[in-house]
Amino acid sequence: MQQVAFNTHISGKFNTELENLRNSVLTMGGAVEQQLIDTIKAIRYNMPGLAEKVMLNDAAINSMEMQIDQECLRIIAKRHPTASDLRLVMTISKTITDIERMGDEIERISRLVTKQQLPSSETVKSSMLLICEQVAQMMRGTFDAFARQDEQSALEVYEQDDLIDNEYNKLLSYIVGEIEKNTESMRDWLEILWALRSIERVGDRCKNICEYVVGLARGEDARHSTLENMVKRLKNFS
Amino acid sequence: MLTLFERETLNLATLNDEQTAIRVEQLNLAFDKKSVLSEISMRIPANRIVALIGQSGCGKSTLISCFNRMNDFYPQCRYEGKIIIDGRNINHRNENVAQLRARVGMVFQKPNPFPMSIFDNICYGLRLQGVTQRRQLDEAVEQALKDAALWNEVKDRLFDPASVLSGGQQQRLVIARALALKPEILLLDEPTSALDPLTTLHIEELMAQLKKRCTIVIVTHNMQQAARVSDYTAFLHQGRLIEYSDSDTLFTTPRKKQTEDYITGRYG
Repeated sequence: MQQVAFNTHISGKFNTELENLRNSVLTMGGAVEQQLIDTIKAIRYNMPGLAEKVMLNDAAINSMEMQIDQECLRIIAKRHPTASDLRLVMTISKTITDIERMGDEIERISRLVTKQQLPSSETVKSSMLLICEQVAQMMRGTFDAFARQDEQSALEVYEQDDLIDNEYNKLLSYIVGEIEKNTESMRDWLEILWALRSIERVGDRCKNICEYVVGLARGEDARHSTLENMVKRLKNFS
Repeated sequence: MLTLFERETLNLATLNDEQTAIRVEQLNLAFDKKSVLSEISMRIPANRIVALIGQSGCGKSTLISCFNRMNDFYPQCRYEGKIIIDGRNINHRNENVAQLRARVGMVFQKPNPFPMSIFDNICYGLRLQGVTQRRQLDEAVEQALKDAALWNEVKDRLFDPASVLSGGQQQRLVIARALALKPEILLLDEPTSALDPLTTLHIEELMAQLKKRCTIVIVTHNMQQAARVSDYTAFLHQGRLIEYSDSDTLFTTPRKKQTEDYITGRYG
């Protein structure tokens, strides 16, 4: 399927509305990305004040989700979009749900800093920061692929999730080992495990958005697909 | 909190006279003894597009025709109430109706070019107003055709009969003819119902441009069109104004059940 430009309608206002809608998703994505960057900084330098700010900022992200949802509803009701326009609006509606959930997960990670429950082990902290950095990079790539509607980039970002899952599983095994050695430390480790799980989930949400980007570009639903299948599809189409 | 989408927030209930192009007060209208419009009160905001929607026979075309006294052509028509344009009640018996119709232009469902050239069609109203200088007429014709997005298509054949134009071109010609008189208000009574979808979109885009210089009231059976083009929408039923609000609200969260039933196709 040929990629369709969203700014070529006869109605100039409709062009503007779709452009604003797309930009608003990137604004929301940028805000969540900043939340993650701040969280990483808060973990690295143990800054509870910054983590607190991240938690407060989540309300702004929730508000953006509601505004964009309302705009999608308004465009569907007033413009009756069809084909690629309809797919764009529906994709955006799903994308912002994922972005909002990313915000929630990041808020949960920040709580580790405000509650002063960061791992005492420097090895664990470094591994945790490494995963966070990888997720941040994946997030940047995701929004970049979304902005350019570039399914090839989306696929490359999609692949990065495997790296994150590997790091996550390695750290998980290490922590489980530590708990087995000293069961009294379980409560402290549990909080860290929840936070790690949240970081890993942010990666999964990025993966979801990449699937939407591929689906939008190709005009077919790419969700719940394996990486091999997605690559095969792209090859078949190109 | 960051506001992602700017919204116009004109409150129709509290519009002041400066923001109002047409103020309708307690308008009642009947043909013979049959009531067609009952107690209509509304303010049409200036430089906006207002759509009138409702079932056939609900009175929307009759209401739009009140705004330039076209109903006067029906001797059996009786009306009471006020319609205020520019501070004057146009329903007053001393109103100069010819001048009113120059200020409040009207375009009908079926394009009705006069049996004369494209150029003369545009000049018709101006000549009636006493404009005779060729240069003045030339300029007015060019401007009106440009405003109606027709100039590029007809500039080399201005003296061809208007009847050779396609349906969409004829409708734009008729809009240009109305625009030549520089109306403050443009009334469109189902202006695109005889046109194909793409030409319809061109006319709708034209409306979006025109509202910068005049107020537009459009009657349409096509709810999608009302939703697409209008800033505000009024829903009429059996001669009564049921709901009138900004189109975003009316088409997403109407307040009245009757409106909800009509726009969702559950009516009757």
